[in-house]
Amino acid sequence: MHLRIDPTRLTTPHEAAGDGNYDAVIVGSGVSGAMIAEQLCKEGKRVLMLEAGPITSKSLRGYNDYVTNYFVSPGKDSQAPFPENPNAPMPRTPLLRKLQPGQVDSNTYMVQTGPYVTDTVYSRTLGGTTMHWQAKTPRMVPEDFKTRTLYDQGLDWPISYDDLEPDYQRAEREMGVSGDVTALRYPGGSPYPKDYVYPMKGMPPSYLDQMVNDGIEGTSVELDGQTIPLQVRPFPQARNGIPNEAYDGGKGYTPIGAVNTHQVDFGERCQGNTNCVPICPVQAKYWSGKTLAKVLRMNDEPDKGEIKILPQAVASKVEINPENGHVAGIQVKVYKNPDSPEHETITVRGKIYVITTAAIETARLLLASGLPSTSGLVGRNYIDHAYLFSWGLTPKICGAYRGTDCISGILDLRNGPFRKHQAAFSVDINNNGWSVATSSPYTDVTALVDDGNLFGSQLRRGLVDRVSRQLLFAFMIDVPANESNRVTVDPQYTDALGNMRPNLSFTTPEYSMRGAAYARQFAKTVFSRMGVIDYTQYSPSNFGYVVYEGEGYEIHGGCHLGGTHIMGTNKNNSVVDANQRSWDHANLYLAGGGSMPSIGTANITLTIAALCYRSTRAMLKQLSFETTTGATIHKTTGYHHGFSRHCDT
Amino acid sequence: MDSHDIATLESLEEHLFSAMVLEHATLPAYLTALYSIKPGTNQDASNILRVVAVEEMLHMTIAANLLNAIGGTVNLTQTGFVPSYPTYLPDSIDDFQIHIEAFTPSALETFLKIERPVYLGTVQQRVVKRRIPNHVWCLSPNKDGTTQYTTIGEFYNAIKESFIRLEAEAQAKGSTIFTGDPAFQITSEYYYSGGGKLFPVTNLDSAVQAIDLVIEQGEGYVDEDKPTGVFDQYGEIAHFYRFEQLRLGRYYVRGDKPGFPTGPAIEIDWDAVYLTVVDPKLADYPEGSELYQAALNFNIAYAQFLALLTEAYNGKRELMMRAAVPAMFDFRNLMNRLIRNPAPQQHGRHAAATFEIDATNAILGTAKA
Repeated sequence: MHLRIDPTRLTTPHEAAGDGNYDAVIVGSGVSGAMIAEQLCKEGKRVLMLEAGPITSKSLRGYNDYVTNYFVSPGKDSQAPFPENPNAPMPRTPLLRKLQPGQVDSNTYMVQTGPYVTDTVYSRTLGGTTMHWQAKTPRMVPEDFKTRTLYDQGLDWPISYDDLEPDYQRAEREMGVSGDVTALRYPGGSPYPKDYVYPMKGMPPSYLDQMVNDGIEGTSVELDGQTIPLQVRPFPQARNGIPNEAYDGGKGYTPIGAVNTHQVDFGERCQGNTNCVPICPVQAKYWSGKTLAKVLRMNDEPDKGEIKILPQAVASKVEINPENGHVAGIQVKVYKNPDSPEHETITVRGKIYVITTAAIETARLLLASGLPSTSGLVGRNYIDHAYLFSWGLTPKICGAYRGTDCISGILDLRNGPFRKHQAAFSVDINNNGWSVATSSPYTDVTALVDDGNLFGSQLRRGLVDRVSRQLLFAFMIDVPANESNRVTVDPQYTDALGNMRPNLSFTTPEYSMRGAAYARQFAKTVFSRMGVIDYTQYSPSNFGYVVYEGEGYEIHGGCHLGGTHIMGTNKNNSVVDANQRSWDHANLYLAGGGSMPSIGTANITLTIAALCYRSTRAMLKQLSFETTTGATIHKTTGYHHGFSRHCDT
Repeated sequence: MDSHDIATLESLEEHLFSAMVLEHATLPAYLTALYSIKPGTNQDASNILRVVAVEEMLHMTIAANLLNAIGGTVNLTQTGFVPSYPTYLPDSIDDFQIHIEAFTPSALETFLKIERPVYLGTVQQRVVKRRIPNHVWCLSPNKDGTTQYTTIGEFYNAIKESFIRLEAEAQAKGSTIFTGDPAFQITSEYYYSGGGKLFPVTNLDSAVQAIDLVIEQGEGYVDEDKPTGVFDQYGEIAHFYRFEQLRLGRYYVRGDKPGFPTGPAIEIDWDAVYLTVVDPKLADYPEGSELYQAALNFNIAYAQFLALLTEAYNGKRELMMRAAVPAMFDFRNLMNRLIRNPAPQQHGRHAAATFEIDATNAILGTAKA
């Protein structure tokens, strides 16, 4: 698709600051920012979008530079494609270290205040974290929305699965999901409407998926008195596959390929490259630039709205009108060069403000602006999945490193009455060998050379033998909301522009560790059924090492950030309402995973996207209310009146 | 009726098979140029060459659909399907040959000639009939090798006119020329490319639509009243203009006039290319050497690929996605094994795939016997 960000679409600090007529100021160009911009512009609204990072990926050349950065980088972490940017830094994993009790690690952008250390990351660049996400798009299950009521764990949502279901469908269309609904209809799974199909057909299972299925099909596990039959099921994923002609009542679907400043024809189908994370080399994977491309096209259509993008613009302070609590503007530091802290500070204003910078940054911005909210919950209830890996060698070659990072998994333990006692999990069958756990295949070379004394053709054979038999299960474990897991700010930790950095403090609760312990046993059981030799080793020196009931585990972050501005039923128990609108600031929306009071065992992006549709309806209603009541913007002060109540709930 | 028209169903089948030969004949040239580019360099040129190559495969598949639609037989394994390089195209007898060569300025000029837009002349000017000199190997839709077309667009226009007339004649007799098995039609489910959907050809409308797609992707939008445009009616940029962007050093964007692109600049680093032996032959590599073996292996893989495609076009459609497309990815590695290595006694030039499929089959046949 033709994403064209030319000078007429970009705005300047001067122009942005002087323009008082934006309907919405959106902070962030990730999935929420792009989808909300798309829905607003479709209805004729004017949007200013701030992106803290550079907009390199607007062209195929820039995007491919990121791909090259990743290929040539000796470390293959999730941020490998993106050059260091001290003005809009992002968390990076290679520098993490284990914390001793009471220690604080401020070596990386995200200050780790312990007791646990997380390698969770998010990206600050055009496209946000959709640049590096894996693109799995499972829906949450209905029970995930009421875990407090059902299991006495975490927090309930103010809305149900059924409330969100139609928006799930919209999100699946926008992101272009490939999936096989029939394989996902099972007891405890997410209910789909009768006859629903995804826009594209399911990705073909990898050879490894089939091998695992052959090993477990027909077997079951007992859990809390319940017999759970096992089988490998494909994940739905936002990657281009074969369009399903039955989609949309027989209208079918046209995949959206790469975006670019000029025409390219690229990325209409996934090619099975095994580096979805950190960057799809062909843009077959959805990233929010595809939605932005649609928004930018609308600029040319008379009945549609307009978007202006201000790049390298870091939102630094949300300014509040003390009279009515409305947001009066957002202070932005705009820099010209990532290598220099030189910047100018402007204030941008709109009728409504939408902060979409993912759970950690959104909380950081609000707290840095001195806005902890009536509930005091801004930054609290930080949620992320706890990841536990188990890995081994299959008896025969299993085709590791063939196919996308992950196509299928074991999903039947995502839900069940056992959730009263232990956390549910979803299992990924990784096609990229042991790489996420051991940095294979690089460490395999070291091991074979140093420990095995191999060289020449023997080394080559040894590598093939070892790498092509690597099986890894990644357990994605539910972590319920807990107020003490939180993001804070501290004036002693600032970035190059003087913005306060996020501080993260969290513990993996026992409930989740019980799930982790069960997951480990589960892996051993399945490995033995498959004849897989277990190579799993958790190192006490690893930053994620946790001891639970005498056993050590390495718990990793999931980059599935939720909970720092949770939605709820009133301003005392939550930060935003069911439309992601701030209880305290009537013209402010906080969109993203931070609104989610629970994330269950679903990768969160699809649910984040679905919420955008809900929120945009509320925003449009609010904007039209403002128009019909004749409320005006007081341009001289920049303060807005007329939004004194929630008119949308 | 014009004497150059394709008057019989048999002649139409010959033309359609020639269309497949023609679409395919460009692939070895495009692939060699593509993989001669040093990794990480010349991204713009790589992207353009890649998409054009993928679309040539699409065009070949459309030609197969057309041929299958009228009950013809598709066989890419027959002797002569892959030409001997250098080769002329049906429209190129006067001015150029296609070479297997690295990405060079002269290769780019050849690509532009391959994809040049329809010559806007009279019907009499458009089709030429003459005898091809004996020493020249040339693709021709006629068994006697006499009919040529000034451009590929002309060639397809002649095919289109023939479809229209032959179907009208058949309809007048209460029958149809579309007697092929619809289960042989390759659709988007089995192959995709940058632009243009693959749809089944089952009647005159779909046949005309398919032919127009090939013409427009190659040469640009053709309209009676307008000159050819940079973008086709689906908003896709034609091959000729894709390549012209490389010559002019700038991308076309919507609204640009031919010859005057206004998009982002393109830079080409002509030095970041492995210069390969032009029109290499197995005989250029020392027999028994690794290069010779690699070249032979490539040809074997390529012969297998053509056999797979033949099966896919003859009812086993699922082989397209399951085997033929993955094979195209394999070619990159197989060709790189040659292109990344200098060939001995070739004045520093690097090796390249020879695409001598018939010769390879002969060698293998002899070995078997």
